[in-house]
Amino acid sequence: MSLFGDLLAPRYLIWLLQGFGVTLALSAAVCVAGTGLGLALCCLRETGGRLAGAGIAGFVGLVRNTPLLVQLFFWYFGAAALMPAWLTAWLNSPHSLPLGPAALTWPAYETLAGFLGLTLYAAAYIAEECRAGLNGVRPAQREAGLALGLTDLQVYRHIALPQALRIAWLPVVGQYLNAIKNTSLTMTIGLAELSYAAREVETETFLAFQAFGIATLLYVGAVAAVEAAGHAVARRDPAGTARR
Amino acid sequence: MNRAVITDNLGYLLAGAWPDGPVGGLMLTLILSVESGLASAMLGLVLGIALAMSHGRTRRALTLGLGLFRAVPIVMLIFWSYFLLPILFGVSVPETGTVVTALSLVGGAYLAYAVAAGIESIGRGQWEAGLALGFGRWQVLRYLILPRALLAMAPSFVNQWTALIKDTALAYVVGVPELSFVATQVNNRAMVYPAEIFLFVGAVYGCLCLLVDRLAALLARQRRRPRAGRA
Repeated sequence: MSLFGDLLAPRYLIWLLQGFGVTLALSAAVCVAGTGLGLALCCLRETGGRLAGAGIAGFVGLVRNTPLLVQLFFWYFGAAALMPAWLTAWLNSPHSLPLGPAALTWPAYETLAGFLGLTLYAAAYIAEECRAGLNGVRPAQREAGLALGLTDLQVYRHIALPQALRIAWLPVVGQYLNAIKNTSLTMTIGLAELSYAAREVETETFLAFQAFGIATLLYVGAVAAVEAAGHAVARRDPAGTARR
Repeated sequence: MNRAVITDNLGYLLAGAWPDGPVGGLMLTLILSVESGLASAMLGLVLGIALAMSHGRTRRALTLGLGLFRAVPIVMLIFWSYFLLPILFGVSVPETGTVVTALSLVGGAYLAYAVAAGIESIGRGQWEAGLALGFGRWQVLRYLILPRALLAMAPSFVNQWTALIKDTALAYVVGVPELSFVATQVNNRAMVYPAEIFLFVGAVYGCLCLLVDRLAALLARQRRRPRAGRA
């Protein structure tokens, strides 16, 4: 009990909750963008030409075989140096888009770099899961579609893809869980998400167990909730093929 | 592209301050991956066997515990072992030790599922045949099930190892001077060529992961060949 004897002051709890909010928002954005990009990559790899296929395979291999941390450093430090100076300056300066009473403000540079790095990483993995799903659809299904007079694209759109997505659903949910956990790496480029907040609270209060304990519980809660939701969706699937 | 920033710092990126100081850079990354790779393989094997051989409440508790380790970000686990290990053992643990502990626990938790699945993939008939011959449950596992289950699991171990190589980069958060950390040091010193530095470091990790992957594929093919000849 002595380890947890001292409670965190409300101020620090608010820090942690704010960090959790950033983690959730970033995770959601990464999952949505990563799914879109991943699906696009998967479809383009299947239906595009040989050049597009090789390019996408190279990109996916590169992203999956290097540490996410190094990728984030590349997007944070490296990309800024490669971009023309005016673009870097524009990205770094505050902008806001007035929307009626509220205003949409431009995110800080580390948020952009973190979002980009995490999205590309998630997309590469999701593209692979979708490809595995497509490979899991029996060839006879495509042949049957072609025999019925559907075009290649129609077979793909109406027969192969829906089944592939059903097969790939739970693995993709696994990638969503990874995306939530991976947001913790953005603390290294100064994005004030949950791990960053926990580290801040720890350095200010020296209450390591409280800070990391609460952060860990929040992560576990978020991961468990998304996993449960993913399985619930799979169970409600009328065809039932997602249950594996 | 500026190549000098890489060639000038190549020694530091590959070995850190060694031989004048502690080992760092790529060499430390390799040491960390081998250590945590071996530890997680052992842990995964033990936990996986425990998972496959246990029933009811023990199994549920084990599943929950393993699930917990898989639900927590590795950064958090590194912080935990960084702060917990010294308190638990009353001695100061070097940073590399805390990183290896955290990575081994995560790797072991992931591998345990693969090991349990591998054991459960061997048909019931094998178990029944062994038991009918008068073997005990553990003897069946040791002599009939594991030899073949391990073969089926080999790809999982290789995949986990490449994942571990990538995860050693997270040692950065507690200041362990492995490849990613020394890369940021070089970057902070040079200031002007970040893209070159991180592209190079990414390429080194990529080569390492591909090498492990190819090596495993080669080994798998070599093992399969005599078997195919016999059939």
